[in-house]
Amino acid sequence: MPPKSRPPRWADWLLERFLSPYLLEDVQGDLHEVFYKRMAQVGVTRARHEYSWAVLHYLSPFFFKPAPSEPNSSVYPSPSLLNLSMLRNYLTIALRTLAHNKAYSIINVVGLSIGLAAAMLIILYTKDEVSYDRFHANNPNLYRITSRDITPGDQKPGYNTNTGIFQGPKFTAGTPEILSFVRFQSNQHDIKQGNEVKSQETFSTDPEFFQLFSFPLLSGDPKTALTHPKSVVVSEDMAEKQFGTREALGKIMFIKTNEQFEPYTVSGVAKKCPQNSSIKFDILLPITISKEDFAQSDNWFSFFLNTFVLLRPDADSKAVEATINRIYQTDAKNTIVEMAKKFGIKSKTIYSLQPLTEMHLSTDLPVNNGLVDESSPAFSYILSGIALFVLLIACINFVNLTIARSLKRAKEIGVRKVVGGGRSQLVVQFLGESFLLCFVAFGLAILLLLLVLPTFNQLANKALSFMYLLDIKLMAGYVGLFLMTGLLAGFYPAVILSGFSPVQSLYSRFRFTGRNYLQRGLIVLQFSLASFLIVATLTINSQFNYLTTKSLGYDDSNLVSVNKSSLKRNEARLLKSELMKFPSIVDVAPKNQGFWGTVAKVNGEKQLSFAYETVDETYLPLFKIPVLTGRNFSPDFPSDSTQSVLVNESFVKEAGWKNPIGQEVNFFAYETPERYKVIGVVKDYHFVALNQKIRPQLFTMKPKNDFGKVFVKIKPHTETESLRAIEQTFKKLFPISPYSYSFLDQDNLKKYESEAKWKQIMLFGAILTIFISCIGLLGLATLSAERRTKEIGIRKVLGASVSSIVQLLSSDFLRLVGFSFVFAFPAAYYAIDKWLENYPYRIEISAWMFALAALLAILIAFFTVSFQSIRAALSNPVKSLRAE
Amino acid sequence: MRRTYLGEFEEIVLLMVAILDGDGYGVTVSQALEEHTGRIVTFGTVHNTLIRLEEKGFVSSDLGGATAERGGRRKRLFRVTALGSRALQEIQQLRQELWQMLPPGTLRLSSL
Repeated sequence: MPPKSRPPRWADWLLERFLSPYLLEDVQGDLHEVFYKRMAQVGVTRARHEYSWAVLHYLSPFFFKPAPSEPNSSVYPSPSLLNLSMLRNYLTIALRTLAHNKAYSIINVVGLSIGLAAAMLIILYTKDEVSYDRFHANNPNLYRITSRDITPGDQKPGYNTNTGIFQGPKFTAGTPEILSFVRFQSNQHDIKQGNEVKSQETFSTDPEFFQLFSFPLLSGDPKTALTHPKSVVVSEDMAEKQFGTREALGKIMFIKTNEQFEPYTVSGVAKKCPQNSSIKFDILLPITISKEDFAQSDNWFSFFLNTFVLLRPDADSKAVEATINRIYQTDAKNTIVEMAKKFGIKSKTIYSLQPLTEMHLSTDLPVNNGLVDESSPAFSYILSGIALFVLLIACINFVNLTIARSLKRAKEIGVRKVVGGGRSQLVVQFLGESFLLCFVAFGLAILLLLLVLPTFNQLANKALSFMYLLDIKLMAGYVGLFLMTGLLAGFYPAVILSGFSPVQSLYSRFRFTGRNYLQRGLIVLQFSLASFLIVATLTINSQFNYLTTKSLGYDDSNLVSVNKSSLKRNEARLLKSELMKFPSIVDVAPKNQGFWGTVAKVNGEKQLSFAYETVDETYLPLFKIPVLTGRNFSPDFPSDSTQSVLVNESFVKEAGWKNPIGQEVNFFAYETPERYKVIGVVKDYHFVALNQKIRPQLFTMKPKNDFGKVFVKIKPHTETESLRAIEQTFKKLFPISPYSYSFLDQDNLKKYESEAKWKQIMLFGAILTIFISCIGLLGLATLSAERRTKEIGIRKVLGASVSSIVQLLSSDFLRLVGFSFVFAFPAAYYAIDKWLENYPYRIEISAWMFALAALLAILIAFFTVSFQSIRAALSNPVKSLRAE
Repeated sequence: MRRTYLGEFEEIVLLMVAILDGDGYGVTVSQALEEHTGRIVTFGTVHNTLIRLEEKGFVSSDLGGATAERGGRRKRLFRVTALGSRALQEIQQLRQELWQMLPPGTLRLSSL
């Protein structure tokens, strides 16, 4: 017999797999019999085909089903839980009850859909937050070089997310596991746009940028785009703006570097950076490091850019960290000693690698210096918390209302049980109803989401789109959310209702016992959450008001700030004299740009770091900042600019001076140490935002320090003409410098954007929770009033007044709301106390905030409940008593 | 009274089982079908019908008659039950009655 003269194995396998065991023997036997017969007639191949073909016909449910039941098993088939006609009946009943109790259905659906929409929104938000920088193909092997400074005796290390020019190339050269590096430095460059000059943020980077990161180029070669020193890569938006077309390859752009405009050739046009990227660039230039800079070893201590490295996939990041620290210790050995001697630095720098994907949500090592969208995981947590609150409250409503309403359905349940409905069937029915409601709510929630997404984007500073939803994981999350909500809201009622005794319910003597505790507990929980959020909102509100209205210690009204980088003394003088010709301009004071800080020695050895302000004598009077002791700079003392400084009160306190005037400040860190005498003490004022403490501050007029901006004080209500005057003068004097202005008081408000955001989010959350709690309460009040119609009728007949009945119906609920404060207020106190600790200048937690919250909650609850109770109290007792 | 409906194919298969008189099982029934009616039916269909008939109670089955070519597997041999033979007779009778009600000549005319 040739080896193949038997039926195909796979066909037999299929047969054995898919045939009901009781049929297998004879069917397979028949098939084999035919096979051997056919083999003799038409040959092996044909017979095998026929055999397979015949087997395929057996692969149907008919042959798969188990043997018919044994004769001794029950004659009555046990109905399946999901019998079709029963399902149809469930659906009909569900729709009828929903249609019958419109108020109840609407409350449930609206509440649930708001809760679901909030939860969806937050899922969307969190997903976006955690998706930051994950689109790079080189993940998870991309890292950023960061470092921490550890000072002996100091517990908390100082974190540094920036690096200098050395770390990238030197670490890469010495570590075989590092494949390549990219430095990324943020700059501000002037760019010619037609006839105008615009100041534009640019980034300088290494040629490997496009190999390391996944930013696709529309045109140009990613490998060579940044190799030529006079090349530039622009984003498609920038190309559109600059050239009016995206086909910008090879075009020339004039960028001001080294004090003059130089032509740069566009070597690539990049697609717009994804929304969830920490790196967002419009203009990329090749980084240029001069030979001298690279030879200077103290550049190890100059940190001003971000360095990213790509590790080999098999590399161990801990081992690489050890290697780079070794390289640093060897290469920078002399400099470390030198610097320690020169500046008295005691701290030790330890380099580490931060995975690129962790950057966005890191609190210790945040994104900065050109990297954007710094965020804090706290936002995600708080938002998720609020969404959970809202969803929970909506579910509580559902449970409460379903149970409260169930008395009406007790008869239905009784009848179902009497005619043979099992408990599991009832559970399925009620769960099914809750899922039906949930499904409707889900659809509504999606609509709601679409509606509020634009507003939310604005609030959260995001560009989320509904298209984000079309993601497998997110969809799974939403379906999970749907199932969870349905189960959460429907499970308890289903179990309770299905447990009714049919005899009791049909005799209509049915009363809940013990159930009230749960219902009351849930109301208390609801209102605890709501009043917690009210207190939180009130606190954030008043802290925000405090921050934005507190006197900063200077006058920021009618002050226009105009930037002009490297403004020379004579230029500043010229600008001032030109501006003063206009009657609407009161005064002009130049100052350095940005925040400068430095370190100096006082009392001989003590080192002090402080904010370092370069001003002239007009600065303090212009801002109405008082000089407490001593005097301001003055033109009467020409030596002021080279010998004298002013300091603030914090400086004096830190230095420990009893008699500050005449004390010496030693700028030892300069090439040739410079010594200055203190000639006056300035009253502390908030030169930084109020969420930071006032630090020591020192004012100098040192001629070598360039100014960077001017403050122009204008007469009130002369904004239009003053701004025109400033712009004209500026353009006349500095035709190739970019002109931009801002009002100082508006700038100051911008510092509290994060608080403003918190305020809005909290307000939003509080309103939602209160709203949903209230509609729940409204539903319960309605049902309780309905249940007590007879009682109310009798009371009225016996002479009860409307107000006493309203009181009777409302007091129950109000007591519960009052009880909720017991839980809410301690929790709220703890939370806001913790939050306020972030602010050195903060409001006191006061009792009135809690009193106000309590009053608010009670008032809202009272209005909600009284709406129903008044209606019930006003109804005609004849009607309610006659109806049976 | 519930009348069990017998489909056309079911009727033929039932008849075949009756003809084979205790020797009917999957292979013989389909062979006989092919031989006498010229119909070629898949094996699964025949089996399907036999099982259906058994479920309806028209035939009963026993296992037996294992042979070497079947790999030692037993056959499921079908036999017509009393209910089955009554059903066949009823059908036969019904047809007979209906034929007799036919006015003479009608069929012959229409067949022209």
